[in-house]
Amino acid sequence: MPWLLFVYPFLAAIVVLTIKQQKNLDKLIIVHAVLQLGVGIAGYLNRSYLAHMDNLGLLVFLITSTLYLAVALYRFGTEPNAPIKNYRIHTICLMFFVAAMDGACLAQDLGLIWIFVEATTLASAMLISFEHYKSSLEAAWKYLFICSVGIALAFVGILLLVIAQPEYASLNVDNMVAGVKHISPFWLKMAFVFIMVGFGTKIGLAPLHFWLPDAHSEAPAPISALLSGALLNTALIPVLRINKLMQAAGLGALAQQVYLFMGFLSIFIAAVFILKSQNYKRVLAYSSIENMGIIMLAFGAGGTAIYAGHLHILGHSLIKAAFFLTAGNIVSIYHDKQWRNVSGLLENNKPSGWLWLIAFAFIIGMPPSPLFYSEFKIATALIQNGHYFGFTAFMILLAIIAWAIGRVSLQITMGTGTQATRLKKGMIIAPAMLLVLAAIIGVWLPVLNLP
Amino acid sequence: MLEILVLLFGLSLLFASVTNMLSSLIRILMAQGLILFAITLLKTTQLNWFSFSFIALETLIFKAIIIPWFISDTIRKNQTHREVEASVSNFFSLAIMSFIFVFSFALAVYSQTRSTKLFPLEFGIAFATILKGIFIIIANKKLITHLVGYLILENGVFLLSLSAGSHLPYIVNLGVSMDIMISIMIAVLFINRIKSTFDDADSPTTLKE
Repeated sequence: MPWLLFVYPFLAAIVVLTIKQQKNLDKLIIVHAVLQLGVGIAGYLNRSYLAHMDNLGLLVFLITSTLYLAVALYRFGTEPNAPIKNYRIHTICLMFFVAAMDGACLAQDLGLIWIFVEATTLASAMLISFEHYKSSLEAAWKYLFICSVGIALAFVGILLLVIAQPEYASLNVDNMVAGVKHISPFWLKMAFVFIMVGFGTKIGLAPLHFWLPDAHSEAPAPISALLSGALLNTALIPVLRINKLMQAAGLGALAQQVYLFMGFLSIFIAAVFILKSQNYKRVLAYSSIENMGIIMLAFGAGGTAIYAGHLHILGHSLIKAAFFLTAGNIVSIYHDKQWRNVSGLLENNKPSGWLWLIAFAFIIGMPPSPLFYSEFKIATALIQNGHYFGFTAFMILLAIIAWAIGRVSLQITMGTGTQATRLKKGMIIAPAMLLVLAAIIGVWLPVLNLP
Repeated sequence: MLEILVLLFGLSLLFASVTNMLSSLIRILMAQGLILFAITLLKTTQLNWFSFSFIALETLIFKAIIIPWFISDTIRKNQTHREVEASVSNFFSLAIMSFIFVFSFALAVYSQTRSTKLFPLEFGIAFATILKGIFIIIANKKLITHLVGYLILENGVFLLSLSAGSHLPYIVNLGVSMDIMISIMIAVLFINRIKSTFDDADSPTTLKE
């Protein structure tokens, strides 16, 4: 069945060239999204439908499918702001972008994952610069360039993994774990550092996060939602897979220290820069860096926190995608991205205002958000492992970030509105659907009993 | 013969640290492409028609001819200023390059004891090339020079994959070449579009915060 995921974009790309109406292009995307979610659910019920994908891959795959469906509903029938020719290219790139993410979930071989992650960069750079503004073009350039350098370094890491193995070199994680006795620890450590830096660039971990706020804030809203909610998880896959190898080689402590260090650094950088941001989409982008940092902390702390890490991946994706989609509503009402110029959203468009407030409450970890449970678990794990200083820093930084997002959210939603604006139904339903799903998961945790 | 070629490759890095002209950086890229082609030919033991055309396409056609031509064409069209305009002096970058060499060779000599299938000279130069590429990207402001830095980094990665021996899975090789081709296409596309959107293709600066 996985072949469907790759055949459809190619067939659809040929069909796209003959389509003259934007609405029909949007329909193709919706069909792709439904197909994707269908395959995902079939794979959940019976793993053999999805080439025996592992749990991490399945989790990321299901998140991507859900977000993709929400995004497809959100953008269905939006006003065309570009010539149909550009819109066609946009549609093709969107389908290939999602297909590349699927490939990264399905692949078990690190080399293959690398190729798919590289492909996501190429496809999404075109998506970011879709609106052809000066700033979006520059953001896309920055994204393409920094991620290409990062991904080249990740490839160096993969080459070093080949060097680390004596005779027969395999890049399949399970095979490497099986033959771990023959792997040279020195080269494995070097490879780990390069892979961390390389894929860390793509995850948006500090100190190589510079592209993320620009790309996420300048892309159109649906693309921002996919970048933040789906692409970052995809880049997490190889980093977490190599962790398995490090644990098997007896270098788990080193890997965990690196995770903790990069996690704390990312949260710190996010807390510093989020206070300076004038653009509300940039605020959300820094919050993504923060959440990726929290996920790294979870895997750095280990033990019970690993379950919390997986839950955090899921919760953050759903909530942040809803947040970015709502930000898209605000942009289409006010045509302004500076948060100080925007106020009275609750009066101008009540549903968007409430969506924004709920998304804010969820992202800072108020129950019933799943992030409440995951952050609680991570904090507990930090104390249990004796990281008292880390625990204190974690709490203070989270409080700063919560305050910064809260300040922006209250400014945007409160105050007197200028004029009531109506939005399309899809623009409300799509983020609402994601938030409801997040709340259900937050209340009904056992559904997620993934290791 | 192999040693001489690899040393020449290393020499080109030293030359890249002292030059001030964009055109000589491009000539360095061409020279590196040619050297890589020669090295691959020397290393391939059994040469069938398919692998020969693949290697030739990647190193000779792309690295040595098409990409340098693309870049110099872009420079000419956009009337970019012909000097590199690095933010550090030549002496400083030469000193850094020497440090990079010392570090890489120390690593190569140290690592020789850890792995039997590694050629220390090649490994050292390849590692130095990767670091040099990163240094060029950090120490320069121009888009074109960034691109040249990235290409030098990619050349280093290619040399490293050669020194890793012949055990490399084939798909990885394919990935590298795909990567290079597509990223260059897009880079050139982008530079042209940046040129038409911004008046100055050297350094767009609207996103500052």
